[in-house]
Amino acid sequence: MFMKDYEKLINLKKIIIYPLLFIIICSYFSFILLIAYYPNWLSQKIFDSSISYGIAYGFFLIFLIFFVTLVYVYLSNKLIEPILKRI
Amino acid sequence: MNIIAVSMFCCFVLLTLYITYWAAKQIRNRDSFYTAGGNITGFQNGLAISGDFMSAASFLGISGLVFASGFDGLIYSIGFLVGWPIVLLIIAEPLRNLGKYTFADVASYRLKQKPIRILSAFGSLATVILYLIAQMVGAGKLIQILFNLPYHVAVYIVGLLMILYVTFGGMIATTWVQIIKAILLLFGATLISVLVMWKFNFNLNTFFDTAINYHRLSEQIIAPGALIKDPISAISLGLALMFGTAGLPHILMRFFTVKDSIQARRSVAFATGFIGYFYILTFFIGFGAIILVSTNPVYLNSDGDLLGNNNMAAIHLAHAVGGDVLLGFISAVAFATILAVVSGLTLAGASAISHDIFSNVIQPNNKDEKKELNVSRIATVFLGVIAIGLGIIFENQNIAFMVGLAFAIAASTNFPIIFLSMYWKNLTTHGAFYGGIIGLVTTITLVILSPVVWVDLFQFPTAIFPYKYPALFSMSTTFIFVILISLADKSPQAKKERAKFNDQFYRSISGKGIEQGKGH
Repeated sequence: MFMKDYEKLINLKKIIIYPLLFIIICSYFSFILLIAYYPNWLSQKIFDSSISYGIAYGFFLIFLIFFVTLVYVYLSNKLIEPILKRI
Repeated sequence: MNIIAVSMFCCFVLLTLYITYWAAKQIRNRDSFYTAGGNITGFQNGLAISGDFMSAASFLGISGLVFASGFDGLIYSIGFLVGWPIVLLIIAEPLRNLGKYTFADVASYRLKQKPIRILSAFGSLATVILYLIAQMVGAGKLIQILFNLPYHVAVYIVGLLMILYVTFGGMIATTWVQIIKAILLLFGATLISVLVMWKFNFNLNTFFDTAINYHRLSEQIIAPGALIKDPISAISLGLALMFGTAGLPHILMRFFTVKDSIQARRSVAFATGFIGYFYILTFFIGFGAIILVSTNPVYLNSDGDLLGNNNMAAIHLAHAVGGDVLLGFISAVAFATILAVVSGLTLAGASAISHDIFSNVIQPNNKDEKKELNVSRIATVFLGVIAIGLGIIFENQNIAFMVGLAFAIAASTNFPIIFLSMYWKNLTTHGAFYGGIIGLVTTITLVILSPVVWVDLFQFPTAIFPYKYPALFSMSTTFIFVILISLADKSPQAKKERAKFNDQFYRSISGKGIEQGKGH
């Protein structure tokens, strides 16, 4: 019973952590690579506004980063903690 | 002399000294000195962590960078912020579950104490001292402008107050000073931003449009500028910022001040929220300054540049939207920020000296907590004096590279050792120690040979190492050498260390066996 819970715990952690890590690394490095390779695209304005794609993407990233931390805390409390209590 | 700023700052100092007095009465043992007894809540710790990150350098520096080149400021902010989910997802909980006072506790959990403690303490102290120099010099210059105090006097005041806070109040005082400052800074920055946006009826479009019209770079301020020129530099800076945070000793230390891994998680989520919000504000402050400060001759010198330098953008903007009162408040907060950040740094350095070097290397059998506590107090005074001395020596040096170097060392030495010790079964003492040293030497060498030191500081015509940011090369060097040496290590000691991994991993996930914060 104990080993089963432990294995379940590790698998669950992987299922939660890997996708979140993937989202963060991809979105951040796509930002960095866009800056390096396609700065012109980032400087274009969105429709008729004075806000560029770069600024919009930057602000989106700030919210995404915060959102990922919230998701992780929520999932950990909801899914991981009950198993930890059992062990 | 700005009377309002001085009186507000004096109020802050009196309050913090009272907190130090209150904290000193509660400090009975090592636990309370290093970790505030583990009684800080996730929310409080989140504020304190965000306070560590919202230094005067990032408040004034990033808003100044936005003021000067717009979008580039955002690249920096996001880089600093993206380190946090990394800390949360892979470092925070195992760190809390395996360590007690310093990250060396974790790195040396199943490895040989002496070499790993020496390496980790060296990595910590290098990061802390580089950071301290940058903060002290910045502090001296800032206070010179804000309060008309001579540079030396400013450095002495900061150094002395910091020694008082840390020696007597330990982590309890350091945390509360940081929390109060974080609240004041968030409040001040919010107020400035709201007052600025109010002038534009909170219309983002008109706001950015006006800034573009007034700035000499015009539309380039909403586009990537000179900060990143080639892909290698871009990735290298990205790596340093992303993984550097997870190797900063003064940040990692804060995870030991909470009760358990649940609170450690919560602290990061709160901290990320506060820091992200703060960076959004600095962006608005920078753009606000373009509109309201760069167009007003009161804030400019005869060449049309900002009085002081670009880092004064936020301070001038405070005056432009809120008059002398807001200027005084923001100046006082900026001073308070420096004090709080250097205190945290010094405490991290002092615990590396007393807990890692003294109690585990010099006197490995020392079980006397009082003695270790005294050593860390002496170490605090020692570091304070060093900080003051270096602050004075580096007054007229170009110190722009120092925070970059600190981040490079954190990402290239501290982070790989922490990460591999937590997650890689085959790590051995030899691998970590020699690989770590090779990584540390590579980082420092590459920074010295890079344009920021070789050209800007030593005045050679061209740099030997062409990139400003070494992390891509130095981080991979450390990882490769630590892994290769560990794999080649066939000693009996290495076998024992590998055998201990499963138990360590179990504890790092479950937190079973950790010392919980004791209620007083």
